[in-house]
Amino acid sequence: MARISLQNVSKSFGGDQGPWAVNKFSLEVEDGELVVFVGPSGCGKSTTLRMIAGLDDTTSGTITIGGRDVTGLPPKDRNVAMVFQNYALYPQKSVYDNMAFGLRVRGEAKQEIDRRVRAAAASLDLESLLHRKPRQLSGGQMQRVALGRALVRDPDVFLLDEPLSNLDAKLRVKMREEIATLHARLGATMIFVTHDQVEAMTLGDRIVIMRDGLIQQAGKPLELYDRPANTFVAGFIGSPEMNLIDGQLSDASGRLEVRSGDLSVGIPEKTFARSGQNVTLGIRPEHLVISNGSPLEMTVNLVEQIGAQTYLMGTLAGHKMRAVLQRRDEIRAGDKLPIAFPSERLHLFDSTSGASLRMAQTGGKIGVMENA
Amino acid sequence: MVQDRRIVALFIGSISLLAFIIGGPLIYAVMLSFYSARSFMSEPEWAGLSNYIKVLQDPLFWNSLTNGLTIALSSIVLQVVLGVGIAMVLNKRFLGQTVARSIAILPYFLPTVVACLVAQWVLEPNYGLVKSALASIGVGMLDWSSHAFTAKGTIILVSVWLWTPFVVTCVLAGLQTIPTQLYEAARVDGAGAWTQFWHITIPGLRSVLIVVILLRGIWMFNKFDLIWLLTKGGPLNQTETLPTLAYRKSFIEYNLGGGAAVATISFLLLSGVILIYLRLFPIDDAKQGR
Repeated sequence: MARISLQNVSKSFGGDQGPWAVNKFSLEVEDGELVVFVGPSGCGKSTTLRMIAGLDDTTSGTITIGGRDVTGLPPKDRNVAMVFQNYALYPQKSVYDNMAFGLRVRGEAKQEIDRRVRAAAASLDLESLLHRKPRQLSGGQMQRVALGRALVRDPDVFLLDEPLSNLDAKLRVKMREEIATLHARLGATMIFVTHDQVEAMTLGDRIVIMRDGLIQQAGKPLELYDRPANTFVAGFIGSPEMNLIDGQLSDASGRLEVRSGDLSVGIPEKTFARSGQNVTLGIRPEHLVISNGSPLEMTVNLVEQIGAQTYLMGTLAGHKMRAVLQRRDEIRAGDKLPIAFPSERLHLFDSTSGASLRMAQTGGKIGVMENA
Repeated sequence: MVQDRRIVALFIGSISLLAFIIGGPLIYAVMLSFYSARSFMSEPEWAGLSNYIKVLQDPLFWNSLTNGLTIALSSIVLQVVLGVGIAMVLNKRFLGQTVARSIAILPYFLPTVVACLVAQWVLEPNYGLVKSALASIGVGMLDWSSHAFTAKGTIILVSVWLWTPFVVTCVLAGLQTIPTQLYEAARVDGAGAWTQFWHITIPGLRSVLIVVILLRGIWMFNKFDLIWLLTKGGPLNQTETLPTLAYRKSFIEYNLGGGAAVATISFLLLSGVILIYLRLFPIDDAKQGR
């Protein structure tokens, strides 16, 4: 297993002048860590992974794996294993041969290959499928074979490119658990790419959120949830999305508050913001509370009962708002609810740059990229 | 219902038309092989199996069969090997790729007669292009048409020139169906170009190659125009194949029954070989390796 270090790694498909698919990406992945790259499609997460694998060249920057500079090396000399979104199993080879292929190519001894393939098959519950061809397998089984193919190689690094995207919802949860278990058991360095924030939150020791080739924020899942570095991260992590209200900061009433139309919400003093500045106020739907006596009234437009919780969609002083409450059976569309914004749960962002005004730095190992 | 009936009518119509066009002459030829006739006008006389016995006892028949197999096999091997190679080059991205692809397919558009005339003009032993080129460096020119080896070689060469583009086109289409991620997975697994070729490209082209080899095999084994135009089966029957033999017997020696017998045997042989081939290499993907 190994530590991965990316220093100012950039990738442009159009030459040295950009446009940049990945722009000055710097990250240290610790030995045995599972880091998730997450972001919308086209954000550069897969490209970064492919550069680590050696499938795409870097335009600039250096990549080291286990202290060894691998920037110019072909994939085979990096000792990495990769799992692809569509599994990329060799269709004419049996499950056994798919898993054995990488070892055969490397000239391992026959008994050693057999031992490793059977061990991997046992750990992934594939023993009864070893003689089958990929087309005779279900999606979940194919994904396990793809994992097995990576496993037998005993690589320094596992790279997983949206491995669960082609599976149905139930299977996705199951495979997610299997990958988490596998990671815990092997203690392997893994990089997992996904566009699904739930996968990112549940799997990652650390999450790197990307957009337009830039790291938006990197940190532990709950750090990203609690202290998003900008409006993009705030909107991306958490479901339903954080409520964002554009307004202006004012201290006219003697305390700092955000005003937006008829709405005014008092905020704590811990901010860089100045009075008069255009800001975006953020609060997560699950942090809104019903508080009798609150002057803020939300008109409910839609109620969604999902079991343990009740999702509300409504308007508050002309702003669309989402709220998540513990199960409340009696709320109906058209109801007016007194809503309070707990001040310790508020987020404040600069309206122009989107950057958080609440804190100086993230808890992650790298600083926040200034949002262009 | 009306539409259903119309579809059935169209179906029956086309089947009967096909049966008439293909089945009619076939049955007539097979029937003819049991008669002896000097021309299509004269009244044929029942001959039983004597045409077949004569043909099978004739060393010329066996010679033609061997020639046909030699020419067909060597030209298919060359067409497929070259075709796969050229298709792989054309499948890479490079400047002028579209132009190169168009040029590569061009020979396939040439009528056989034109191709043969060009080949004869190039190889003509007294004033051909090769002759003058060789003369300029002081080397003499062999009369290719008077030696068995060079005559066969010329037929194979021209057929490779004419029909490799067919293989290129099919293989190029096949190559594009192989997912690039398979190559990426193999690269990460540590496979070099050669290993990738044998473990991904060739298995990925399997279905295409089975069909291409089958079609080229049938067409090469039944090839008449090219051989007749280039050598007429000569020198001394050294490039005689079953189709030219059948033609020679029927239309030059006016032995219609004998010609029909050769054609029928040729048809049966080819059908048998195709059956065995398809049993060994089923085109149906799902049956592979089960």
